[in-house]
Amino acid sequence: MFIRLMFFGFLGLIVLYAVVSVYSRSVRREKLEDWWEEEPVEGKTREAYIEEGMAAYDKGLRKKLILLIFVIPPLVAGAIIYLIN
Amino acid sequence: MRNIRRVFRIVLFVVFGLVLHYALPQHDVVRVVNTYQERQDLNDWTRVFWARPDDQSAELINRDVQFIQTVKRKTWLLGFIPRDATEVMVYRNEDTGWSWPFYFKFDTANLQTEADDLVSTSETPKWAVMTHYGWRNEYLSAFPNAIAIRPVTGPDVTIIPWFNIGFFVVLILAFLFLRAVWQQFRERTLDPLADRAGDQMDHVSADLAERRSRWSRWMDSWRSKK
Repeated sequence: MFIRLMFFGFLGLIVLYAVVSVYSRSVRREKLEDWWEEEPVEGKTREAYIEEGMAAYDKGLRKKLILLIFVIPPLVAGAIIYLIN
Repeated sequence: MRNIRRVFRIVLFVVFGLVLHYALPQHDVVRVVNTYQERQDLNDWTRVFWARPDDQSAELINRDVQFIQTVKRKTWLLGFIPRDATEVMVYRNEDTGWSWPFYFKFDTANLQTEADDLVSTSETPKWAVMTHYGWRNEYLSAFPNAIAIRPVTGPDVTIIPWFNIGFFVVLILAFLFLRAVWQQFRERTLDPLADRAGDQMDHVSADLAERRSRWSRWMDSWRSKK
């Protein structure tokens, strides 16, 4: 019972993580495109600007925050277990 | 076609609402009358109205279940009109364990003891708030499952369903998020694909371009109606 819940819960979280991270990357790329449209940086191509922005995103905190998807639901479940029993 | 979709949506919405109504916690103001234990047969489809406390219980065709008999203050009619009446309500008291619905309840024996402690007569009533989920149905012998009980001073208590408020806030946020994901996916992935496909087809023939408009009409059917 417990193992089954863990297995399917983890599976669900992996799917959620994949969806959220793809979405987040896509939004970031769109933002970078918009910023370029507004104010192109001198001496840099659009592609290079966007690739740099995406590299910065990959290193950034925002991307790591998505890992909270694996942290928060177990914490919520733990809180429920504590409060109910 | 539009009607079929509408019916489909309504059915989906109703089923979803029923599942939530079954599984979300509700609060009753009750007076415990008695508790008992009774062997229950679990070998037909009404099995869905009983919990699966652990792995062994999944295969059992009957087992003992604890019950809490109460007199309950009737809830407000349709949620708006207060009424000063009581009815009887019998709760089952079962562990939900690690399975659906996810209350992670393991303290059935403790809850039964608390309920026993609160037993009172109508002359000297001890009121309590019973948290439960599930439905009472006499014809199907379905009982709501008691989750927690706490004594209160009188029958006129204000109960704020904090969990449900939080749950629906999260549900709405999840819905808005999924819609944003879908819109992003369509805008960044599907539409460019459709455009490219459309361009090629334009080159091929006007006949195929017609197909493209059918495709975009189908795409339009996914868009929200403005």
